[in-house]
Amino acid sequence: MPMANYRRNAGMLQSAARILLVPSFVIALAVMFKGYGDVGDGFSAGVIAALGALLQGLAFGAEELDRIPVIRYASIGTFVGLTIALGTAFFPLLTGDPILLHWPRAGEDVVHFGVLEFITPVLFDVGVFLVVYGFCVGAVHAIAREQERQVRDRERARKARGAERPTLAEEPLEVAE
Amino acid sequence: MDINSLMQPNPALVLLVVALAAPLVVALGGAWRSELVGKVAIVMTGAAFATAIWTCFVDDATFDVAWASTWDLRFTLVLDGLARLYALLATGIGFFVVVYAFSYIPLHLHHDHRPLDEQTRFFGFLLLFMGAMVGLVMAQDMILLFLFWDLTAIASYFLIGYDRGEEESRSSAMMALLVTGISAVLVMIGAVILGNELGTYNLGRIFSSATPERGIGIAALLVTVGALAKSAQVPLHFWLPRAMAAPTPVSAYLHSAAMVAAGVFLIGRMYPLISLFDWLLDGLLVIGYASLVVGGVLALTRQVLKQVLAYSTISQYGYVVVMFGLGGEKGVAGATFYVLAHALVKSALFLTAGAVTEATGKKHLADLGGLWRRMPLLAFGSGLAAAGLIALPLTIGFFKDELFFAAAYEHGTGYAVLAVLGASLTFTYIARFWTTIFLGRENVAPKAIPGTLVWPVVVLGVATLIGGLWTAPAIWLVEHAATVSAGMDVHLHIAYHLDTRPENVMAVATWLTGTALLVSRPVWLPAAIAAARLGEKLGPARAYYEGLRLLNRVSDAIHTFEVRDLRSRVATILVPAGVLVGVAVIVTPNSDAFHVGSLARSDIPLITMIGATLVSALVVTIVRDHFRLALSLSAVGFSLAVVYALLGAADVTLVAIVVETIFSVLFMGMLALMPRPILRYETAVRGARRLVRRDVVMAVIAGAMAFFVVWGALSQPAPSTEVIEAHQMLTPLAHGKDIVTVILADFRGFDTMGEITVIALTLLGIMSLLRSGRLR
Repeated sequence: MPMANYRRNAGMLQSAARILLVPSFVIALAVMFKGYGDVGDGFSAGVIAALGALLQGLAFGAEELDRIPVIRYASIGTFVGLTIALGTAFFPLLTGDPILLHWPRAGEDVVHFGVLEFITPVLFDVGVFLVVYGFCVGAVHAIAREQERQVRDRERARKARGAERPTLAEEPLEVAE
Repeated sequence: MDINSLMQPNPALVLLVVALAAPLVVALGGAWRSELVGKVAIVMTGAAFATAIWTCFVDDATFDVAWASTWDLRFTLVLDGLARLYALLATGIGFFVVVYAFSYIPLHLHHDHRPLDEQTRFFGFLLLFMGAMVGLVMAQDMILLFLFWDLTAIASYFLIGYDRGEEESRSSAMMALLVTGISAVLVMIGAVILGNELGTYNLGRIFSSATPERGIGIAALLVTVGALAKSAQVPLHFWLPRAMAAPTPVSAYLHSAAMVAAGVFLIGRMYPLISLFDWLLDGLLVIGYASLVVGGVLALTRQVLKQVLAYSTISQYGYVVVMFGLGGEKGVAGATFYVLAHALVKSALFLTAGAVTEATGKKHLADLGGLWRRMPLLAFGSGLAAAGLIALPLTIGFFKDELFFAAAYEHGTGYAVLAVLGASLTFTYIARFWTTIFLGRENVAPKAIPGTLVWPVVVLGVATLIGGLWTAPAIWLVEHAATVSAGMDVHLHIAYHLDTRPENVMAVATWLTGTALLVSRPVWLPAAIAAARLGEKLGPARAYYEGLRLLNRVSDAIHTFEVRDLRSRVATILVPAGVLVGVAVIVTPNSDAFHVGSLARSDIPLITMIGATLVSALVVTIVRDHFRLALSLSAVGFSLAVVYALLGAADVTLVAIVVETIFSVLFMGMLALMPRPILRYETAVRGARRLVRRDVVMAVIAGAMAFFVVWGALSQPAPSTEVIEAHQMLTPLAHGKDIVTVILADFRGFDTMGEITVIALTLLGIMSLLRSGRLR
């Protein structure tokens, strides 16, 4: 099994992945919320968080991704994020304004919480973050889960046949023609 | 929109909300308790019907909010006479159809061995159909009208294809969707032309400012063609008989108060525009008479109950189109009245056909007979409806023909003769339909059917009778509706006269001719069947099938080439794009398009990094081992990121680095998943020389064109900095300090919105592909 092979000696990778998980989310949040005053935005934040999450998958396999809730439900995040972003974009319509008009309006006072400013584009950016993070993690996760399921199924079928463990060369190859 | 207007319910808005809430409630109710869905549907359509009746007792109303104000699109609903009439038909007939379907659909599913919870899909789409019709008839903005117009096509697609297990049902649904959907695009084009020529999409303002000039004429023509296709007029009539694959309640609804009625509604709605052009009215006359005759003759040759009625509908809407073509007060009033009367009787006749087939299991006229003894109530109800369609006195149908004859006679004897001929055809096939089923020798034993399959027919039949005796409500409805269509006050005078006025003479002539045709059926039947055969062989349906086959073949050929291997997929994108861009670059007359700039000493770090990018890119073409290949690709990306950094673009650098990192990680992950033997094989084997040469050609074309475009763009004098300055100035106002983020999330937020929507949809696509197992 190719996967097991490289994971057998993956102690370094595994400890690095574990240590980096939380920091990558923290950095992502910082990049997103500071984005309005500094370098960074929801998109890069989403990719950074996804990197932290995908590292777990590389180090421990797809089952591990299922064990961490922020990763397991990432694909839902895409649609929550899309709803947030579209909601932010379209809510000015309710008052007859053009879409994406932000609140508070230009020049008006803004509520601060530290450096965090409560303005609707930030909320929009949170939506972008969730969409990007959810996409990166969700897509890879879905494919990886499918791949491991196939491997498991094949294993089970082999056991059922009672055959000996075949060499890699005999393994049916599932590649597009 | 101020608060006061919210406090007083706006009748137009109330009607739309009730009608559109119905499918939602049904869908939710069906998800919760699927056995209740029929009852919920009855209650919801009942509520919509009651609301539509209520709107008859309130004044005209307008509901208007800004929608996309930059394009001057408004969500404008108007409750006027025309909207009332059609909304009443859509909800009223809808109500009886739903009551009927309450018993019919469980039986239908039972016959097909399908689970009962598929009811939800039926009632959901049927009510969506109703909601779309209600929205359509009130829409006062061309674009809004188009939206509801397409919504009816979509709902009808799912309803006609309800028996999705059957090939015929699916292809019929596709045909209906293609014919009405493609013609709907014509309506949209017409709307855009009107919007450009007149600067508004508001129907009221379009009508007041339209002049009989060429551009407007083309727009009116396009809209009319769309409407005629929806009303199944010759030569785009062939989808309607095929749509009979739908369950009977759908056919009843589709033919009487929705879909097909939507076509003539649109003609009625756009009539102030259409009537500006005499050639368009003449066209309506030709198409209308052609449909009248073609539909009538084909109906005579059919044996299947629903087929007879389907061709009859083509012919009946031919009457309406003819009357619109004749025009004037009589024509418009007659057309409007005809739609009302026809909706009542045709829905009753369709429901009869369904009930008869349900009771006897027979679909062919030849297998049926003498049913009146065993099903007297059904015979009574459908007898009234049939009497209405063949225009016997004391029914509402009598007046529809009176008005038709009057309008035709006013225009000349030729029109009158054609009118009598068409009406005689109607008389013949409807008389044959009813008498064959209910009279004669009893040759089938019907089993008992639920009362809800009979009572809607009786109620609609009695309504036909009442409409013929107490004409005031119909007159009120039609006068108000026709006033909107004609753009002038229309007065309708209908009554029974026992004299020899032309209408009466023509009616008697119709009955006599019809009876003669009925009796002499064996004489003319071979000729009619031969005509039908010829139509099938050379008619427009043939063109449809041939066109579809041709399109399929072209699409298959392109698809086969594109998906053959990764190379051809890349080639289909890169080569055409490169060639197109290259042609554009070559034909653009720019004498000094390409400059070679100069280098400064401070550029050395930049040059170094660009050099690194170049080297990594070259390495990509040389290395064969997958791992090194992936690393060299990342090297290209990372060196580019450094180039951005040297140019001072911090945000872009950050994005480039994180994206490059995730790509590298994914590459490694994919390589880890690949079986080793494949990797080894791929590395060892060299591509065929021909393929390698093809790759080189492709790469050179795409690369050279990209190079020249970028060079040309960079050679241009620096673009105006106005936009940049404006953005810089606005950034603090938008409460931001980082201009890139503000541009992404605010100034250009609309682009970002589109992009993230695409991302989310892609994820949805990946997940559903994996779930449905197509990747396995």
